Amino acid sequence: MTTLTALSTLAGRRFQLTARTPRQIFVPLLTPIFFALVVAPALQSALGGLGTHIDYTTFVAVGTVGLLVPLTTIFAGLSVIVDRDSGAQPELLAAPVPRSLLVLGNLIVALTLSALQVAVLIATATAYGDDFQVTATGVLWFVGAAVLFAAFMYGVAETLASRIPKQEEYIGATPAVAILPWFFAGALFPIGALPGALTAFAKVLPLTHALALMRFGLLGDGGSSLHDIWGMGSATGEAFLSLAVVALFAMAFTALAIRVFTRAALR
Amino acid sequence: MKRDSANVIPLARPDAPAIRVTKLSKTYPGGVEAVKGIDFEVAPGEMFGLLGPNGAGKSTTVGMLTTTIAPSGGSAELAGFDVVAEPLAARRISSVVFQEAVVDRELSGRRNLDLHARLWGVDVKTAATRIAETANTLGLAELIDRPVSSYSGGQRRRLEIARALVSEPRVLFLDEPTVGLDPRIRRELLDVIAGLRARNQMTTLLTTHYLEEAEQLCDRVAIIHQGEIVALDTPRALLAGLGGEIVELRVEGDAGAALALLRARGIASEDALNVGSTLTVPLHNHGAAEAISAISAAGLKPLQISSRTPSLDDVYLRLTGDRIAVAA
Repeated sequence: MTTLTALSTLAGRRFQLTARTPRQIFVPLLTPIFFALVVAPALQSALGGLGTHIDYTTFVAVGTVGLLVPLTTIFAGLSVIVDRDSGAQPELLAAPVPRSLLVLGNLIVALTLSALQVAVLIATATAYGDDFQVTATGVLWFVGAAVLFAAFMYGVAETLASRIPKQEEYIGATPAVAILPWFFAGALFPIGALPGALTAFAKVLPLTHALALMRFGLLGDGGSSLHDIWGMGSATGEAFLSLAVVALFAMAFTALAIRVFTRAALR
Repeated sequence: MKRDSANVIPLARPDAPAIRVTKLSKTYPGGVEAVKGIDFEVAPGEMFGLLGPNGAGKSTTVGMLTTTIAPSGGSAELAGFDVVAEPLAARRISSVVFQEAVVDRELSGRRNLDLHARLWGVDVKTAATRIAETANTLGLAELIDRPVSSYSGGQRRRLEIARALVSEPRVLFLDEPTVGLDPRIRRELLDVIAGLRARNQMTTLLTTHYLEEAEQLCDRVAIIHQGEIVALDTPRALLAGLGGEIVELRVEGDAGAALALLRARGIASEDALNVGSTLTVPLHNHGAAEAISAISAAGLKPLQISSRTPSLDDVYLRLTGDRIAVAA
């Protein structure tokens, strides 16, 4: 059996299980869509927006991707605990396939699910009048940032799922992991609006880089926060640097997730 | 990197024992010694039992053989494949039926079997044939397309056995397969397991704390107690050591003195023992009636006396001073 066959079998299984739990697909969408369609227009109306040519609701719509992806991947991680406690994980561990493929199979499904949900979010925001500047290059920046950020977040989720013994404890960690960074990462306002120390903190968050890249892709140079992060002259150069940061986090946490999972699987 | 990969899995080595365990041990973090340097070999086609109470080290041994628990010392091989150095090859030729329910409940029975077949590298056409055959053999044909969540406990257990068989393993591990089932379903499942013996050269390692399962099903039984194998032989040979019959009597007062008296009169041998006020006396040279008369003649007035044929529980009792049922 080839590695690819094993990987597609494992991913296919996870797809089927996910499809049978629709709440895993729809629940993570609710809060981001609420922010994009209700909270953002309300804030714009109350506070007057960003004071630039960028429409505030469009700015926040991209920002909510930074909430949607962590919620989706954390939910996906929860299914790893369910699999371990009451599912077929022991059977998979006894299978003649490298155990790293179990993590990678789950990652493929988490990425696909995230992509579908982000597409729904952006489509909904567009339908409500958000003004995205869609170009082929811009979409590539957006997709690249979203995929790498989703891979990073799934690495975090799978690592936590392997280390945390109970579902309750895992769910308890969700606000700190999936929601809190969103408030610091420039999702609702540019990071330059934060106090100095918090701006510095925001710059080391992978979410800050991912959101800046996604806005660079869909809102253009003026809508991104890349300059707030790097302070350089070239927006494209700044984008490559941020992409490298997100890619580094994605690779590091995927590797960590595999290591933690395989070690936890072997008692 | 070990020499296994997903793509290159060598064929099983036909001349090696199906299972070879050498000085295998496991000490968990915290210092609990679950398995203490056990040795045994299982021949191809043999049904081998690991008998002992909960906590004896049976499941830890199976965990090491199925590569989900790392041994602390010693070695173990499946058909010549070292479980530490060649884990993928060892897993390729084996299947496990776990003590707990291990299924995807939301998926159909067929999908559960199909997933196993794919992961074990069975091609699609062969898998479909084997799934149909196994489902028929195990009485699952009518259920196979239903979600497993709708199965009863016995049906689910049969599905798990069917799943393990789809890859036609050389070594099958059954870890306490009847635990938690009601007596009727248990009997049905024992018939199913007995039927596995007919499968071509498949070796089965069964762990259990049910004595009758080991007696009925196994060619040889290793009795495991506190991580050590205290006896290993055929059930017949293990029982033969206790003679043809056992007299059990409950006495008032000093049971040790009563036992000494029976030994002095030649009624009890060295293998007789007392647990509390109950004396268990294997009979090597007397029939039960003769022994009971001799006990009366010796002046003992038992509160209760009975005779029966020996069981593996008596073997366990003689070796460990405890009964499996009590220890379990």
